Amino acid sequence: MKVLAIDTSCDETSVAVTEGFRVLSNIIWSSASLHTQWGGVVPSLAQRQHEERIDWVITRALKVAGINLEEIGCVGVTVGPGLAIALGVGIKKAREIAQSLEIPILGINHIEGHILSPLALPKTSKDISITTDTVGVLGLAVSGAHTEVISIEKIVKKYKILAETQDDALGEALDKAARMLGLGYPGGAVLEKMAGLGNPEIYRLPLPMLGKEKELRLSYSGLKTAMWKLVNDLGPNLDKQQIYDLAASFQNMAFRHLVRILSQVLEDYPTKQIWVGGGVTANLELRKRLRKLGREAGVTVKFPYSMKLCGDNAAMIGIVTGLRIAGGLSSDNIDLVDRQPRLRIDAV
Amino acid sequence: MKKPRVEEIVKVLAAGGIVVLPTETVYITAADATNPEAVKKLCLYKNRPLGKPFSVAVTDMKMANDYVELNQTAKELYKKFLPGPVTVISKGKHKTASGIESEIGTLGIRIPDYKLVLEVVKRLGRPITATSANASYQRRPYKIADILDNISEKQKKLLTLIVDVGELPHNEPSTVIDTTLDDLVILRQGEIKLKNVNEVSSRSEENTRNFGKELWQKYEHLLGTRAIVFALEGPMGAGKTQLTKGLARAAGIKDEIVSPTFNLELRYPTSRFELSHIDAWRLQDDDELEGLGFGQTINDKSVIVVEWADRVENTIRKYNEEAIIVWVNIKYGKKENERLIAWGNL
Repeated sequence: MKVLAIDTSCDETSVAVTEGFRVLSNIIWSSASLHTQWGGVVPSLAQRQHEERIDWVITRALKVAGINLEEIGCVGVTVGPGLAIALGVGIKKAREIAQSLEIPILGINHIEGHILSPLALPKTSKDISITTDTVGVLGLAVSGAHTEVISIEKIVKKYKILAETQDDALGEALDKAARMLGLGYPGGAVLEKMAGLGNPEIYRLPLPMLGKEKELRLSYSGLKTAMWKLVNDLGPNLDKQQIYDLAASFQNMAFRHLVRILSQVLEDYPTKQIWVGGGVTANLELRKRLRKLGREAGVTVKFPYSMKLCGDNAAMIGIVTGLRIAGGLSSDNIDLVDRQPRLRIDAV
Repeated sequence: MKKPRVEEIVKVLAAGGIVVLPTETVYITAADATNPEAVKKLCLYKNRPLGKPFSVAVTDMKMANDYVELNQTAKELYKKFLPGPVTVISKGKHKTASGIESEIGTLGIRIPDYKLVLEVVKRLGRPITATSANASYQRRPYKIADILDNISEKQKKLLTLIVDVGELPHNEPSTVIDTTLDDLVILRQGEIKLKNVNEVSSRSEENTRNFGKELWQKYEHLLGTRAIVFALEGPMGAGKTQLTKGLARAAGIKDEIVSPTFNLELRYPTSRFELSHIDAWRLQDDDELEGLGFGQTINDKSVIVVEWADRVENTIRKYNEEAIIVWVNIKYGKKENERLIAWGNL
């Protein structure tokens, strides 16, 4: 069955067509890319922008997938977590489509999409069988809004949050560090490049929650504060090498913290696989470190097959929709599919 | 109502019991500050670890001098403000039970402007703890129900005697002043101000969260009359989210407050109202706040916390009439981890 998936959880307007694990199209209209200068997204317009774009994005997703709207068998839409006014646009559109085609609609959790995104396969993939047998996998969602380690106890049916941030998300921390270094917004990707040129040992930054790893809590606010002080003490005219080294130091500590907590989780909750999704998954240094952790712990670490599946996108929502149908979960009552801005994955 | 008898109270305190007593500020939990068993019991009641200090009540400066080293600054404060709603922190002489002085050996002393308490201390001959009688982050105890409604049965059993004189006037808790450093440092501000502006000093994230709690308690009574906007400004990492955590907890929100930077707004419903936690860091200009439904949230008489409020100052100020707007400015202090927090109509 072909699924039309919609995600308007925050900045991106995204629509995808999926079939089983295969991604037939995955169109993302990013407002962040239109506003790369300071500040980034224009949220007051977020609702209007989503409204203005969504029809075009749907048409485009169908065209790239090479199908007509009538061939769609089910609609999946992100209901949370996210910005309420933005979520509302996608939900309204999804309900309209489900109603006019008289097909089922499913409300999907955005985080669930991220952690199951490594299951997605390219369009050309032969294997379209879908299975929900997997149990006992760890999911890791790392994005601008979320940093969560999740036990996938029963896929699409039972999740448990094992560790989460108590203040800033990893992607947000990286973006803010980039901003402190004058690298623009969203600057996480630029920070990664700069960090690659720097030496992480030049500047001292604290490792968050040192000695408290067993509490399984993530925190980036202290690291951010230390960075702010460090940058301030160095004065306004940083030279290139200083910026490289500062970027390297910050990124190093941010990732070390995550890896340490993750390895504590692996000790407490042994597993064979970790599935990683979310915007920060695009960071190759993070991938390297997670793979290294995996090798040492004898755990397979899976990432999404394409960069487009890392950030916010609708294909991952399509994958979850397909899995829920395959898992025999009934579709949702259309009147009950509504925005849930602070939806948690353990509420699935 | 039975008139509280001093002998009875003193008897309980001398035997290591905990007594709820009225003062000119809030109800306090009094225990003999020199009795280790009583202090342990008090820690259990307050549900806080040993190491977080308790301020104590004495009768006069002479008695204070037995327990702390009074420097010139402290003496002047005593003369000017005590008895009254001021707690003066000095270097302790380690004559109280362990857990009363802070980890660095300082002790907060108060001389309540309340006859019953002074008589009790005088008769007991030893200082009593003067910590507020509520459980952590619960509402200020102006009446006995404020206390009993928010504690467990186990906690109730730890209270030997409750002196109920009805509802107290809603005065601010005491102003807390640290005299152990070169400069006078205000750690909590009550009715008594030393400067024209409202400003306290925070020395840790925990202090900042605690200030968030106090800030909420200063404005809580206005809930439902108009929207309350806490407009927070301060550089990266100053502790804006930490402050919000304390404020939200005191307001009865059990969920973990996290940074709303990416989402722009996170909402937390309570049984009485909705807290809207907004982060303007990603907003490009003032108008964009309206796009998040700010005006509607004000109409709903919600409680709103805006981080990076300086970025959307014009829009916030548009609602000066409709809402109660509290500007809060957090600055980095001279010392590591020190923050200066000013608030009011900045």
